[in-house]
Amino acid sequence: MVEPRPLPFGARTLTVLALMVLGAVAAWQLRLTPSGLVPQEGGWKLTREFLGAALPRPLDYEGSSSPHWDPFLLKVGKSLLRTLAFAIAAMSLALLVGLPLGFLASDSWWRPEAFGGGRLAPIARPLQVLIRTWIALMRSVHELLWAVLFLAAMGLNTMAAVVAIAIPYGGTLAKVFSEMLDEAPRTTTEAFRGIGASPFAAYLFGLFPRALPDLSAYAFYRFECAVRSSAVLGFFGYTTIGYHLELSFSDANFREVWTYLYALLCCVLLLEAWSTALRRRLVG
Amino acid sequence: MSPIFQLKGAAVEYDGRLALGPVDLSIEAGEAVTIVGPSGSGKTTLLRLLNGTLRPTRGEVLAMGRPMSERTASELRALRAHIGFVHQDHALVPILRAGQNVIAGCLGQRGFWSSARAILWPQRVDLERAHSLLERVGIGEKLFQRTDTLSGGQQQRVAIARALFQDPQALLADEPVASVDPARGRALLELMTDLAIERDLTLVASLHDLSLARALFPRLIGLRAGQVEIDDAPDNIAEATFQDLYSLEGLRGGEVG
Repeated sequence: MVEPRPLPFGARTLTVLALMVLGAVAAWQLRLTPSGLVPQEGGWKLTREFLGAALPRPLDYEGSSSPHWDPFLLKVGKSLLRTLAFAIAAMSLALLVGLPLGFLASDSWWRPEAFGGGRLAPIARPLQVLIRTWIALMRSVHELLWAVLFLAAMGLNTMAAVVAIAIPYGGTLAKVFSEMLDEAPRTTTEAFRGIGASPFAAYLFGLFPRALPDLSAYAFYRFECAVRSSAVLGFFGYTTIGYHLELSFSDANFREVWTYLYALLCCVLLLEAWSTALRRRLVG
Repeated sequence: MSPIFQLKGAAVEYDGRLALGPVDLSIEAGEAVTIVGPSGSGKTTLLRLLNGTLRPTRGEVLAMGRPMSERTASELRALRAHIGFVHQDHALVPILRAGQNVIAGCLGQRGFWSSARAILWPQRVDLERAHSLLERVGIGEKLFQRTDTLSGGQQQRVAIARALFQDPQALLADEPVASVDPARGRALLELMTDLAIERDLTLVASLHDLSLARALFPRLIGLRAGQVEIDDAPDNIAEATFQDLYSLEGLRGGEVG
């Protein structure tokens, strides 16, 4: 028997309406108008020049102001590699921190039959809340803000830049990993408990591998984000691709800018292909 | 012969609702028993009592002559390490190879590092044992194949081999053939009953398919709304008794689920 609804609008409809109203209020508050997208007086020329430089790909230096140590393409390649090096270092550190934190933040870890039982039972929930708060703190400051902070405190050094990315990334990985681990099928981990495996062994061999395809796909996506972040770190003076991109842009060497952008695009596409291949392997 | 499993007035409540019992039951070592009954009648609950993954709310469960309640947590784990359990949905690790899944049967018997090493970098001894067990269940050639590329029936054979890797004294199975087609299901069950005889194992399997239960097991326990309604050899049970077991009438408080 289906009960008649007390209201014409269900809770879902009300939520959607409330979200739309929120969006409208925000737009009104910021005075958002489509005219904001129209370039200003001199902007038209800049836009035309910039877009016009998109198609003919420059394989050599455009202006004379750039220091010509290396052939242009070699410089692009080197700066791309440097960007990747930052991203790989930051991501490794973030995984090292994020994976164990993700385990500790998941509900599965603290179930009574896992680690939430026995002597730990009274403090299991507070511990989990503490860890989740810690993860939220790591996430709440953007990597560029960390970079600004570290730049002020420690000066331009690569370790500081890598840690600046690794902190919020570690937090984000931990949060999403913990949710994925809690959504993974529990049958295998329960079966392992059922044949006498320790909670840790059952978690690591029963639950973790069932979540692994999702975890690795997400880690790849975050790696892609890390490549972008380390490119942007170039604006602070680290010699990643963003550094050269900004120099070329301020010299109005737009064709060079486009080459850097294309290089980044190729890099992201390659990562995408790699991640798809790996996921296909893991899902089987 | 002494009973390997014994239930003395064992009852299980979930949130104050009686799911099983009180049940008095005794299973001898080496017996092959099937548990049948409508869904929600307490089959899984009964099986989970037998390996101590569930504690009775009232009454006592004894395994190998010792009450579960007298065992410490580590003693319970040691007990479970020698009881194989085959689940309806295999409960394997899909991204590992079949042989690695078989070796995972050691998880309850070896320490963390030693079992991790055995699963991830299998030694020749374990691999040979896994291979011979896979041969016994009929899929020896799948030793190095990724588990998730195997068919449902083959995966269940891997799960059986994993249970055998434990060198168990008893094999429990919760609807092991529910997700396999009937012909393959029968072959799987025959394999399990053969193995039980061959290795002197106690076999307790819950089944949905009544005809398979009657054909393959010398002892049949019929559950209905948490009560043992039948406990006899299938040949001695009248057809009408089976019909009563599955009829909806007379169930307490509509406990069909």
